[in-house]
Amino acid sequence: MDHIVAARILMGISLGFHIVYSTIGIGLPLLLMIAEWRALRTGDELFHQLARHWIRPAGVLFAIGAVSGTVLSFELGFLWPRFMSFSGPIIGLAFSMEGFAFFTEAIFLALYIYGAERLSRGMLFFCTIPLTVASAFSAVFVISANAWMNTPAGFSLANGVLVDVHPLQAFANPAWAHEALHGTMAAYVATGFAMAGVSAAAMLRGRNLDLNKRALTLSLAVASVALPLMLISGDWAATILAVQQKPKLAAMEALFTTTRGAPLVIAGWPDPATGTVRYGIKIPKLLSLLAHRDFDAVVEGLDAFPPGTTPDPRIVHPFFDLMVGSSFIMVGAAAWFWWLRWRRREVPQGKWQLRALLFASPFGMIALESGWLVTEFGRQPWIAQGRMRVAEGVTTQSGIGLVLLTFLIVYLALTAGLLWLLFRPSSAGTGMETKQEVRHVEP
Amino acid sequence: MWSLENLAGGAVLLGLVMYAVFGGADFGGGIWTAFASGPLAREQRESLFHAIGPVWETNHVWLIFVVVTLFTCFPTGFGALFTVLLVPLVIVLIGINFRGAAFAFRHFGRRGRDHIPFMAGIFAVSSILTPFALGMAVTASVTGKILLIDGRVHAEPWFWLSPFTLVGGLVGMGVCAYLAPIYMAVRTDGELREDFRPRGIIAGLALGILTAVEVPVAMMDAPLFAGRLLASPAAFVVVLAVIFGIATQILLWKSRFLSAQIGAAGTVGLTITGFVAAMYPDFLAGQLTLAGAAAPHATLVAYFAILAVGTIILVPSLLFLYWTFRGEPDTELP
Ligand code: HDD
Ligand code: HEM
Ligand code: HEM
Repeated sequence: MDHIVAARILMGISLGFHIVYSTIGIGLPLLLMIAEWRALRTGDELFHQLARHWIRPAGVLFAIGAVSGTVLSFELGFLWPRFMSFSGPIIGLAFSMEGFAFFTEAIFLALYIYGAERLSRGMLFFCTIPLTVASAFSAVFVISANAWMNTPAGFSLANGVLVDVHPLQAFANPAWAHEALHGTMAAYVATGFAMAGVSAAAMLRGRNLDLNKRALTLSLAVASVALPLMLISGDWAATILAVQQKPKLAAMEALFTTTRGAPLVIAGWPDPATGTVRYGIKIPKLLSLLAHRDFDAVVEGLDAFPPGTTPDPRIVHPFFDLMVGSSFIMVGAAAWFWWLRWRRREVPQGKWQLRALLFASPFGMIALESGWLVTEFGRQPWIAQGRMRVAEGVTTQSGIGLVLLTFLIVYLALTAGLLWLLFRPSSAGTGMETKQEVRHVEP
Repeated sequence: MWSLENLAGGAVLLGLVMYAVFGGADFGGGIWTAFASGPLAREQRESLFHAIGPVWETNHVWLIFVVVTLFTCFPTGFGALFTVLLVPLVIVLIGINFRGAAFAFRHFGRRGRDHIPFMAGIFAVSSILTPFALGMAVTASVTGKILLIDGRVHAEPWFWLSPFTLVGGLVGMGVCAYLAPIYMAVRTDGELREDFRPRGIIAGLALGILTAVEVPVAMMDAPLFAGRLLASPAAFVVVLAVIFGIATQILLWKSRFLSAQIGAAGTVGLTITGFVAAMYPDFLAGQLTLAGAAAPHATLVAYFAILAVGTIILVPSLLFLYWTFRGEPDTELP
């Protein structure tokens, strides 16, 4: 296999794997924090039990998040040494900050998980605060590195050597604000829906109703607060792309030719040979409105840029539609739930209601993965937009295909282990349940 | 001497020492779960697992700290090292992944007190493999066989496999196997403690022999490095390490466990410091100096600003963590 292709596939798979766990590593702490806070405030022990119930998944998923993240930081060196020699002094700073966020997370997660017998309840709640804050910060920091790849800033080059590095300008590069907001909120949406799905499944099987009702409401509430923010920040992101990353926007929207009053194309298959979108639904002038807030604005198409410098719309456009489509599925499911909840003043438990939530539950993660694919595929062929091509950043070492194969096996093994753990007969909460019940009876 | 490049080199050293002294002990714990023996084998294993649980993720972050410091502060050196050390580092990563996952699966997959030998086995094997491969990678980086020609890195495909690096791998394992029983002796008592004490002494002897063997092997295989190791000031640090090592053995013999713990950590810290000091002022022996490998000045300044702010958050949190989980490991945890 061509070693650039192998390197790209390996990087993409590793990131796609890591993001699942790190997303939960961002979302779950917030849920834990709210649950512990409710338990302290209202004296409702069930909330505390709920939080302790989530410890097992949290512990395992965090562990896999940590080791898969380690793979990534090594891969920056294995796969992209020339890119890192160039950009390390700039994006390295974001990663250095992230390192301290990791320390904080690992420390307070350990205190929270293992400290039950050694810390007071107030202290346990306290531990969830730095945990939540640090995990959100770790996303904001690492996304700064990614945003810099999209809009490199804060440096200049003299004969290929970095000069004039401005760390703050580089950190707060033009794409950072929208990516950080949209990208971090996405973790809350994805975790909230995933956890709501788990509770809905348990309720459908009639298990632990009281606990799961609270779990469902709590996780869906978090997701529902974040979801509108996703739509607003996503729209904001698109207007910024329209200025900063025009080729990406054109690929996302499958716009081949520069157009005044450009239509929005939903679904369809972009065909670069003919420069048209087959089977797509066109809504006249909507793209111009969304991108530039003006029905008759000009939107640059892929033809506005030199050949060989633009991404392939066939992989960017479908994932963009998948992200946006997923949002509407989630909005629908959540709206139905809250409507019934408000009408009946009780957590709705109808079969179809729960099934709808179960159906919608993976779409947070799907939207998040596809959003990242839009961002990453949309930057091609650049590793640092306009500054360095992927082919110039890749390693000179051979044998990357073999490394790819090795890590595929590693990821498969980890996934198999995880599935074994989660579906181990009655493993969920064994041992703990009895212990908690005992503690629950005690005054 | 106090230039920012040198200080950044110091930060790498600090990260390496912290990873060895804390993370190394966790790997050592894994090694000793494989070699638990005697009537209390089960208790040995359980106490090791319980001691590792709350701290391994935190201790693991020191490795991330080293990697991030390398690519931020020494980007050209980082690119070169990670290009030529691909194979041993991939082995390290595989070990890290299987170890972390197996530990978590075993720990959170338990029902009551069952043991899950399969997961424990993977945990033990990867705890042995990882420090070995890492030891090889670290020693391979000083062999002087990594060449920079016109800014591009070159090395023989299997240069990282030699007597010097093989012994280096064993030293990596030895460091881990040495620290764990000594730390455990502080946390346990009675018969269990008497089990860990001789294990610490034996591992100490083994580590002493291995590091001693490494010197003549280095003379053959990495002459530049060996020459600098035997010249001051690296030699001075090495002598200190030897003194610390002997003192630790005596303390263990006399059952002075707390002091022995400090002594053991000091021995390992000094050994690594001596090793790194022998490299100074180079990043790649004979090829690239620290100053030549370093990032622009503004980056280094920003890096140290981040380090300062980070330390303010990190130190109290770390103290709180180790203080909370000090003493006897809890036996009935999630
Ligand atoms: C729960 C997940 C989720 C949901 C519901 C949405 N997105 Fe999104 N989107 C992401 C998760 C995501 C992400 C976390 O995957 C990305 C990748 C990079 C980033 O910053 O966020 C992203 C990137 C991303 C980008 C590219 C930003 C860039 O490359 O700089 C745009 C333009 C949008 N999104 C737009 C939208 C719109 C218009 C949405 C709804 C109508 C939407 N997103 C819903
Ligand atoms: C976590 C969500 C992410 C996913 C799912 C993801 C996905 C991908 C994919 C699929 C590729 C290959 C693109 C191609 O070759 O066409 C890629 C490349 C890359 N990504 Fe990401 N990415 C994510 C976040 C990040 C972040 C936060 C960084 C920050 C540094 C990053 C750095 C890189 C680098 C260096 C490459 C290689 C160069 C390139 O192909 O452009 N990624 N990523
Ligand atoms: C948008 C993309 C990313 C997000 C939101 C993210 C977030 C996180 C979070 C929250 C954690 C800790 C929680 C857990 O272990 O589950 C984590 C772990 C980690 N991540 Fe990522 N990450 C992203 C991409 C990356 C990239 C591109 C790298 C490196 C190149 C990376 C390196 C790491 C490392 C080394 C760890 C382990 C830290 C530890 O030992 O605890 N991550 N990530």
